[in-house]
Amino acid sequence: MAIIVHICFVVGLGLRFWLFKTSFPGWLASRVEISTPLTSWKRVMEGIYLTREHVSPYSGDLFHETPLMLKWLDLVLKVFKQYDYLIFLAADTLIGILLLKIANLFSKYMLLKQAADSPNYSPEASSLLLRKESLRKLEIFVVAAHMLNPYSIAVCLARSTGIFHNLLVLLAFFFTMKAQTILSTLCLAFATYESFYPLVLCVPAALFFHQYSVLNKKSVKEESSSLVYFLTTLGLFSFWFLMLLAVSYHLDESAQFVSSIYGFILTVPDLSPNIGIFWYFFTEMFEHFRIFFLFVFQINALIYTVPLAVRLREQPIFLMYILTFLTGVFKSYPSYSDVSIILALLPLWKHLFAYLRNSFIVTCMFICCTVFSPLLWHLWLYAGSANANFYFAITLVFTTAEIFLVTDLLYANLRWEYDLTYGLNRKLEDGKEGQVVLE
Amino acid sequence: MDTSRAFFLFLVCFGFGFQTSKAADDRFSEELFIKPLPSGHIYFHFQFTTRWDVDIRSKDEFNQYRLFPKSLGDIVSTYDVQELHLSLTQGIWRHDKWGYPIHDAPPGAELWVWFLPSVSSVKQSWSELVNALSGLFCASLNFMDAKSTVNPNWSFRPHGLQGEGFAKDVKLLRYSALPREVVCTENLTPWKKLLPCDSKVGLASLFNAMKLYDTAYHSLSVHLRPICQDESCSKPSIELTQSLAVVFDSTLKNNGYQNWSLRKLFGRSLRNQCPLADLSNIYVDMTCTQSTDYRCQLMPQPDQILNFTQKDEQFSYGQYSVGKHTKDGNFLSIGIQYNQQPKYGPIKPPPVYAHRYITGYGLENGGITCYLYNKLPQKVKVIYLESLPWFMRVYFNTVKIVSNGVVIKPVAINYVQGKDRVQPYTLEVIVELPPNSVSSLSFEFDRAFLKWTEYPPDANHGFYINSAVLSVSLPVATNYTTPGQASSVLIDSFVEETGQKQFIVRIHTESLLLSLPTPDFSMPYNVICLACTVMAIAFGSIHNLTTRRLVARDPDLKTGIIHKIKTYLLKLHPKRGLKRE
Repeated sequence: MAIIVHICFVVGLGLRFWLFKTSFPGWLASRVEISTPLTSWKRVMEGIYLTREHVSPYSGDLFHETPLMLKWLDLVLKVFKQYDYLIFLAADTLIGILLLKIANLFSKYMLLKQAADSPNYSPEASSLLLRKESLRKLEIFVVAAHMLNPYSIAVCLARSTGIFHNLLVLLAFFFTMKAQTILSTLCLAFATYESFYPLVLCVPAALFFHQYSVLNKKSVKEESSSLVYFLTTLGLFSFWFLMLLAVSYHLDESAQFVSSIYGFILTVPDLSPNIGIFWYFFTEMFEHFRIFFLFVFQINALIYTVPLAVRLREQPIFLMYILTFLTGVFKSYPSYSDVSIILALLPLWKHLFAYLRNSFIVTCMFICCTVFSPLLWHLWLYAGSANANFYFAITLVFTTAEIFLVTDLLYANLRWEYDLTYGLNRKLEDGKEGQVVLE
Repeated sequence: MDTSRAFFLFLVCFGFGFQTSKAADDRFSEELFIKPLPSGHIYFHFQFTTRWDVDIRSKDEFNQYRLFPKSLGDIVSTYDVQELHLSLTQGIWRHDKWGYPIHDAPPGAELWVWFLPSVSSVKQSWSELVNALSGLFCASLNFMDAKSTVNPNWSFRPHGLQGEGFAKDVKLLRYSALPREVVCTENLTPWKKLLPCDSKVGLASLFNAMKLYDTAYHSLSVHLRPICQDESCSKPSIELTQSLAVVFDSTLKNNGYQNWSLRKLFGRSLRNQCPLADLSNIYVDMTCTQSTDYRCQLMPQPDQILNFTQKDEQFSYGQYSVGKHTKDGNFLSIGIQYNQQPKYGPIKPPPVYAHRYITGYGLENGGITCYLYNKLPQKVKVIYLESLPWFMRVYFNTVKIVSNGVVIKPVAINYVQGKDRVQPYTLEVIVELPPNSVSSLSFEFDRAFLKWTEYPPDANHGFYINSAVLSVSLPVATNYTTPGQASSVLIDSFVEETGQKQFIVRIHTESLLLSLPTPDFSMPYNVICLACTVMAIAFGSIHNLTTRRLVARDPDLKTGIIHKIKTYLLKLHPKRGLKRE
């Protein structure tokens, strides 16, 4: 087992290291699907250069990293100089190790939860129960899905700072599953500070802390309501977030960065193409509807938290994953780095794969879009034989594929739960074979 | 009766006294400078100078106008202007072939203004000023808003008086240019109306729009500055210089000969001078009369020949007084006849000039490279200014100056970042060019994607990008003809100059045409519908999955709308239903 994981690490890192020596990273860094204005390395270099020249990088509209990230990268680059790719290799290794730990924690958590819930399960569903041996294999799949994933490799090679955002989100996953409230909220606050949308992950974190206490019978005597956990989580989160803003304010000596980062994320002034749905929609939007649709699109990215939290309150980790997925699809500047974290965590729900209805179509859509987007980009901007609609179409298909996958996962989860509760035998009262439908 | 007569007399006297005192404090002069260029073109520079002995700082003095145009005076006094330099140009001045013009101007419109320190808000005064000037000159100067206005540090120093009560702080300066501006008769007409004699008499009567706009280069300009009233400089006065530069290609219609005359080029001859002008002169460059093989002859002979040397550079100008030649109702049509066709060969370029290009391909990113030529055997310090629109996202860390493969470190850099839809990029570099060298200044940029409403009509034509401005102080006078800081009229600068004088030159590079990626302009409804559909797929699915529950049901059980309608109809007609069964 461990050998395969090691092989995955060695092969993945070796591949990355070898590719860094070629001209491939330069091309990848210029791809809009990987480098958005928020994560582009070219812009980071510009920001660092401006800081060294004593020009505030937030006085213009090119640089959108946070002051802490700027400070950190500046320091790291002073140490690493032209070996900057080592930072990205290290970050990717760290992500791999975190994924490994998360997979192990997840197996334990699922078994614990299964043991607690088993009285409610149908006796006929014993074949569906998760087994220790199969769960132990998860770590291989998760690590392989990260180390050998072309999206993760591309993001690492393109030196996209999205890799650090992913690292923070995974740290939040890790500490949440460890039930370390303080560190978890710190990581959530840091992730939110970097890319705003992880804000919604506070809800599953709070739900998890509540469930964890129930599962571990910490508070048998006083069955505290989940409200307490929500208040603690949000309180700690706000505290950390404000601390981070205060430190940034102190570092930058002005609050310009707030509008340059959060204003930039929320009002979407940069309409450069990416794999999301914002750019062409707001390019073509009528001026008097712009504000209205900005609200609609931003609310759309966050609103699913509420219904999903109600529905998935017993499965906070799954909720956390689904919310990461949805914000990754509907954020204003999505990139392949969001896709890479989604795909790396996907094998955790291996037990749902049997219930997926569109997996073949979704796989085909992912492959087609990934291959076609650079081609259509070339036809539009270099060859001049296509126009913006071609590229828009491909990003639309990509978003649709992601939506198909996430809704399919949600459906599969419901079906799995249903089968666990009611068993695989679906004989109706009149003896007919029943069909499971949403009603 | 007596008292009323006395009062009348008093009025008359007062009026006369006032008239005479006023007559002394403003003067007008008209001059024309003609220079045949080595490329076969001929350069005409008309200069009309009005001097008015008022203090630009005191608004109360702007009430009695005689020669000075009231429309401009009102604008200047209302918006606390200290210096104003406006040019409207069609075509590009080719420095490497034509040398330096008297006033250099970029293609399109250019305006730079120093405001008085007494101005309450530079930002507001500027925006009101450009709107007022826009109306006065029928040009789209109102587009010189915050998005295209910069505040350079070193490139534009005040030309006129400085000192107590005048601007020192560079915050009072604004510079803007509109390279897309098209200049035509509609700008010439209001410009002519500022002249005391309009274009009815005097040198301005040569302005025949049909001929003026059929030329290789054409530039109108207005320069206003405070100057000293006299040698002692105890009082200030205002100098308004209106100039019109035009370059004809006379070889086209002359069988390859460079021969020209005023009548041929402008379609009319001079009949008189402006009676209000103190000075009405024409100067013709006579370098060709000394040439051995390519000899020319001036017709008629000039009244006087001005020979002088400036820093080892020989100048020879023939001077005509228009009033003297047209005294008895005669016509004056100056011309030059050549004995042979011009011999085109390599032209000796001016000491410092520049060429600028857009580099790269595709519509994603690109670069700008400017070649700076220094033909002098000594180092020359130049100030380079770029003002670029916000949609060219400049990467400051790519700014590089290279000469002969060696990277040159600039003496100083002033860089102001652009902000989307708010503020342009400013890049001002002071660099020392090595002797006899070609240095390249280059940087990279990303092309921004604009909203569909931000593109001009014919979006695929591209966007015009401002000329770069190169300011340099030359130690030699090669190709140089510009009135000095101290002189108002051209003739004052045609004198011997041997001291350590520096010759200040400001040149503009080519303006550029930048293509930006365009969206499909016909698609807004489709895009809105498609993007919203994708969102609806997600919303609908998640809504379904979170609000409904899974149940096992008989697959044959029909629950569709059609089934419901059927059962409803069957209920209405129970008999039919029975029959069928």
